[in-house]
Amino acid sequence: MKKIINNPSDFVPEVMEGILLAYKDRVKVLDKDKRILMKSTKTKKGKVGIVTAGGSGHLPVFLGYVGDGMLDGCAVGNVFASPSAQKMTDMIIAANNGAGVLCLYGNYGGDTMNFAMAVENAEFENVKTMEVLVKDDVASRPKEEAAMRRGVAGMVYAFKVAGAAADEMLSLEEVAKVTQEALDHIRTIGIALSPCIVPEAGKATFSIKEDEMEFGMGIHGEPGIEVCTMKKADEIADSILAELLLDMPLKKGDEVSVMVNGLGATPLEEQFIVYRRLHMKLAEMGVTIFIPHIGEFATSMEMAGLSVTIFKLNDQFKKYLRVTASTPFYTNYNK
Amino acid sequence: MNKLHLTEAVRTIKELMVEKADYLAELDARFGDGDLGISMSQGFTAATKAMEEEKDNQDLGIILRTAANAFNEAAPSTLGTIMSFMIMGMAKNLKGKTNSGLEEVADAMINGVHMIMEKAKSKPGDKTILDSLYPGVYALKANIEKGKKIAFKEALKAAEEGLESTKNRKGKHGRIAYYGEKTIGEIDGGAVVGVLIFKALMQYIEK
Repeated sequence: MKKIINNPSDFVPEVMEGILLAYKDRVKVLDKDKRILMKSTKTKKGKVGIVTAGGSGHLPVFLGYVGDGMLDGCAVGNVFASPSAQKMTDMIIAANNGAGVLCLYGNYGGDTMNFAMAVENAEFENVKTMEVLVKDDVASRPKEEAAMRRGVAGMVYAFKVAGAAADEMLSLEEVAKVTQEALDHIRTIGIALSPCIVPEAGKATFSIKEDEMEFGMGIHGEPGIEVCTMKKADEIADSILAELLLDMPLKKGDEVSVMVNGLGATPLEEQFIVYRRLHMKLAEMGVTIFIPHIGEFATSMEMAGLSVTIFKLNDQFKKYLRVTASTPFYTNYNK
Repeated sequence: MNKLHLTEAVRTIKELMVEKADYLAELDARFGDGDLGISMSQGFTAATKAMEEEKDNQDLGIILRTAANAFNEAAPSTLGTIMSFMIMGMAKNLKGKTNSGLEEVADAMINGVHMIMEKAKSKPGDKTILDSLYPGVYALKANIEKGKKIAFKEALKAAEEGLESTKNRKGKHGRIAYYGEKTIGEIDGGAVVGVLIFKALMQYIEK
């Protein structure tokens, strides 16, 4: 293992300390273990709170989107492990501005169980909550089992939509509804070229041969659709796009946002080579692209590879993508 | 039922779970990961301790909520979380009450069972703890007019019948689902936990 860390067991706390020191004007922690990150900028009274939670090891997901225009809070667990129900409860209660709290998170076993418990606890304290789960990973389950899919990079678009809808002072039910509608139009597929190493484990949990790639791999190394020989960028872009279109067909005149997301060790240059091809292909189909997102949005430590997300838009979603958001890890001023 | 009764009832459940831990582990090891005995004894031990520590509070709902969270923290396994949901469901029903009658207790237990069904997306007949808990709580409710002794006796009887019925069913949830047909003929460990709960409550009432 070659990592720039101190003690493996200090990995999460030291990451949190670094983030707090860098962005103390915008975020704060609620607890002394530094597992609950909350927005510290001014929040409108009566705005629906938006929160998420998940394991560490995916920056900027999840906590990087805590800030103006996106999330009010995020609870983080150990690397690739859910935070406890208690941390989630404390976060939900703190994120309530009187209008209830939307829990918006990826569909993973530990997170759903703990959120279920946290939501009950919050309701016990008279905080109204709703849950929307992100299930955008097309490769994780076939279309008939879409309800059991995992949540990956597409959640960033969901955070943006939910945050913008909440800033418009919509009700909890309305924010949940529009966020779910957005997710119904969001699909993602990833490919991995090399594995990642959980600091406390010290070694990779799986391997990919030098001349191979895994098509459809999840952000914790969950197996994908197939292991195939390494291909050229254009071929990779084409097969990803074909798979996404199979699940969510697009036609001439449609507008989409496209996210090319680096998994941690893939250079931005390579991401733009893939974006170039996707853009050309979509243009050929008569599909236009609105606010493309290229860069690292949801990573898996030093995993090499990328994911592609397509978000099929309508006027409301376009407005929500455009409206300003500024968090320590996300801004759309530059988009 | 006041705080003292509630704490004593949960302590009786704990004692029975500790006593039966090895038996539960053995049952669970056939199709599960074998942690059922440990997680139930640890969960109920933590819940009892947390309830004792709620010195200043008499609100049954708040005490049960504390117990649910302590249970969840100590036993984060699947059945551990399911038990926490049951206790949490009861807590919601009894919130604001410092004392409750038999009917309120039965309603709270029914609410707990429904919370499990909703959160774990499961129903009676799936070869789970619900196969004994569900008939048990409804038998309790149906017999409240006959007094608590008979009502709890009927509840235990219904739970035991429910447990028997798991023998003829295939497992659907969790690891047991991988074994499919092979699970027919075996009782479900989770459903045994449901029976033990009613057995302990019976013991407590007879004391």
